[in-house]
Amino acid sequence: MLQKTSPEIGGMGHSVKRKEDLRFIQGKGTYVDDVSLPGMVYGHMVRSPYAHARLIGIRSEETKKLPGVLAVITGEDLAKAGLSWMPTLFHDKQMVLATGKVLFQSQEVAFVVAEDRYTAADAAELIEVDYEDLPVLVDPHRALDADAPILREDREEKTNHIFHWEVGDRQATDGVFQTAPVKAELNAFFPRCHPAPLETCGCVADYNPATTKLTVWETSQAPHAHRTLFALVAGLPEQNIRIIAPDIGGGFGNKVPIYPGYVCAVVASLQLGRPVKWIESRSENLQSTGFARDYHMKAEIAADRDGKVKALRVKTLADHGAFNAAAQPSKFPAGLFSICTGSYDFSEAFCEVDGVYTNKAPGGIAYRCSFRVTEAAYLIERAMDVLAQELKMDPVELRLKNFVPADKFPYLCPLGWSYDSGDYKAAMELALEKVGYSELRKEQEEKRRKGELMGIGISSFTEIVGAGPAHTFDICGIKMFDSCEIRVHPTGKAIARMGTKAQGQGHETTFAQIVAQELGIPVADITVEEGDTDTAPYGLGTYASRSTPVAGAATAMASRKIRDKARKLAAHLLEASEEDLEWEPGKFFVKGAPSKFKTIQEIAFAAYTNFPAGVEAGLEAVHYYDPPNLTFPFGTYICVVDIDKGTGEPKVRRFVAVDDCGNIINPMIVEGQIHGGLTEGLAIAFMQEIAYDESGNVQGGTFMDYLIPTAVETPNWETDKTCTPSPHHPLGAKGVGESPNVGSPAAFVNAVVDALSHLGVKHIDMPIAPWKIWKILKEKGISE
Amino acid sequence: MAIRIEKTFQVQEPLESVWKFLSDPKKVANCVPGAQITEAVDDRTYKGVIKVQVGPSVTDYKGQVHIERLDDENHEIEIVGKGQDVRGKGSASMKMTGKVRSLPDGSTEVASVSEVNVVGLLAQLGARMINEVSNKMFEEFTKNFKARLQQERPQQSTPQMPPSTGSGATDEPRPIKALPLVLSVMGESIVRFFRRIFKGSSS
Repeated sequence: MLQKTSPEIGGMGHSVKRKEDLRFIQGKGTYVDDVSLPGMVYGHMVRSPYAHARLIGIRSEETKKLPGVLAVITGEDLAKAGLSWMPTLFHDKQMVLATGKVLFQSQEVAFVVAEDRYTAADAAELIEVDYEDLPVLVDPHRALDADAPILREDREEKTNHIFHWEVGDRQATDGVFQTAPVKAELNAFFPRCHPAPLETCGCVADYNPATTKLTVWETSQAPHAHRTLFALVAGLPEQNIRIIAPDIGGGFGNKVPIYPGYVCAVVASLQLGRPVKWIESRSENLQSTGFARDYHMKAEIAADRDGKVKALRVKTLADHGAFNAAAQPSKFPAGLFSICTGSYDFSEAFCEVDGVYTNKAPGGIAYRCSFRVTEAAYLIERAMDVLAQELKMDPVELRLKNFVPADKFPYLCPLGWSYDSGDYKAAMELALEKVGYSELRKEQEEKRRKGELMGIGISSFTEIVGAGPAHTFDICGIKMFDSCEIRVHPTGKAIARMGTKAQGQGHETTFAQIVAQELGIPVADITVEEGDTDTAPYGLGTYASRSTPVAGAATAMASRKIRDKARKLAAHLLEASEEDLEWEPGKFFVKGAPSKFKTIQEIAFAAYTNFPAGVEAGLEAVHYYDPPNLTFPFGTYICVVDIDKGTGEPKVRRFVAVDDCGNIINPMIVEGQIHGGLTEGLAIAFMQEIAYDESGNVQGGTFMDYLIPTAVETPNWETDKTCTPSPHHPLGAKGVGESPNVGSPAAFVNAVVDALSHLGVKHIDMPIAPWKIWKILKEKGISE
Repeated sequence: MAIRIEKTFQVQEPLESVWKFLSDPKKVANCVPGAQITEAVDDRTYKGVIKVQVGPSVTDYKGQVHIERLDDENHEIEIVGKGQDVRGKGSASMKMTGKVRSLPDGSTEVASVSEVNVVGLLAQLGARMINEVSNKMFEEFTKNFKARLQQERPQQSTPQMPPSTGSGATDEPRPIKALPLVLSVMGESIVRFFRRIFKGSSS
């Protein structure tokens, strides 16, 4: 167990107030749109109204005559520079600006640059584009039909099929199913949703012709990866590219990819020699940038009559839209979806996924989720409830019977993952006690007798986060390590820089706490800086709950390198041998003589003023951390829902969330993360969908249709925790930011289905808007 | 987005004059708010424009209409039309069937069924907007139709004369302003929002 530091030092386990909030609550953050440079001009995107159409021609003569218009860039212009297409993050390519045809509504068609934002927007309206509409493919189930239009004429394979991926033993699994006495089947659609961060995407691209340096301020969760991709795609020398991700107003995976707008702004700046700003509107963000989910899933469980699960079989159709712009590790076409056996001890499992193209916006990204873990957790947690219903067994009893037992860790699951640690029963029992489970079941029985509708939903999920070990994980070939560089100044203060990039997670506080924990330097004396590729060490960025598992570990390891050197310096100052020194947070002292000590501040001063012969001056270190395994946070969520019989409106009465993310760095920040993630999960379960009509028109392209929960809709979240440290992480931490979004959708849906299960309802697809329930109640003769 | 619009209205004119008017696309087009026939391709095909304004953005659909079927005996007409906004806001296509019949009181009933498919910006606004916009358009169309038909009466002997301007009917295509409609629809959602707050209920 880690030694707890004093509140003044503020290491791990202290609810230190967030250092970054001082500027945020004063409105003094610097976001991309706050960046203003001399001579800066503005870009505006012209987009396709069609989901699928031949591009006949673009006329911009009138536009160019408008005073203030500086440039109109089209796909044909980019093609001359070989830039009309760019690689996606997942073995595919994507049009920067359309050439030949458009493949989704709101696709980028032309980029107009003008002296100010208003002129750019007006000028875009004057551009005339001729289209000839083509048959539209919206339903992924029809993508492989013989009469389906082939969307991607650029590909050699004339099919809408992108990939088939399978893992596990098909034959053995099928064998178990043939003899299993009980089988449960669930067909569930996890709808297309969108992270909808508060700040939309945007950039300022500034090419300086005198220095030939390109600086791009960008809403990027992965600035280093973007720099390398810019260098590879545009052929610019990498040392002349500087990506700065300033303060970011939420990312949730939406800001991992490179978007056409960034490329266009860079091209325009190269062309004009002036800084070019491009900022997306809300609708542009919702309609064209990385969506999440859109998985059509089928799960089957084979079990004994007493409820012991035997085998799991999963078949999924993945709708990727017009381009496979998934942002995930390159060996995993369906991300980490194969964590779908969840918290349960299956002896056999088989999982297959087919990806297809449709006339929809490209994606999908991991929305507050470690690469499709959310889909997997939702599927298995829903399927377990279907099995419980089939067996007429309490869902809690079924889960307890099938959990991977605490003494079986590290646990190798049939789909190949080695779970690091877990105690699922402990988390479940705490949640049951907190919510008063048996009382609730009695209440439910009574209510049913009175004809009232109430449901209890359980989700005891397991995540897989912290990508990832270099032997398995890379994005576009770059291994998924992460890094930290720490410099301790002569006065004992320090600056630490990481390859990650916070978008609201509180890294400036939590990473400072890790340094404080390891070196005893007070958290107030440590500056954490991320996002500037000219200063920060190389890293893959922040998403998939990887910051604490990977960069957090790097921070601990870099701190320990500094401590090793500090020991040499302390030995010199105390005239003792290194072995005779003992460490406690903030100082080295001589064993058995605690009054003989040197503080880390004194040692830091000596590193610049009084270092012994044979020791380098300075006190700094850098560490690139390659995690030996992923981490597996888990928890149990219990949702209690009441349903209005007249309107079908589901109201979340209580929600208990017990999380286990191993050792906690800052309990307050963890709780905040859980509140935020549960609120997003609530929105996904009840309110949000990026739907398309039969012509490919986006039906969730504004906040009028794509609903964002407010304090009014959000119930009171009751949080608690158990602690099962990761055995391989240097701090025993696991990562937590995504758990609530991963684990909660199943709890909400299970609660609603549970409320209606006595009526024969087995499943309802998200988002469960009141009308869906009302329709069921009407069919059952309950609502008028 | 495909929508089906069925509308019926009555005019105090004999069937024959109503039918004569209805089977002349140029006359009918001039009753459609914001629409104008610009060119006759042949006796059944015409090119034209229609302007629809939603908020500050004017959608300028250019396209053509074609009379698919003209049944003088049963007084039925079928028209297909298709237009595209050159400034990238989308397109609209339509198939309309119109039928007139005499009523016992000597007036005439005009019944129409239209299947409209909208692609682009307007379609994103969803059915709630499109239905409102089409209702408003139809209301104006009926008003213009009646007014123009009435003007035709004394001039029936000189049909080559263009109809004079008057009561709501002009030759200049004016855009249909959808902004007030958008506001009234948004007004409803604002009321719903406040209702939600005061009720304090979830989702």
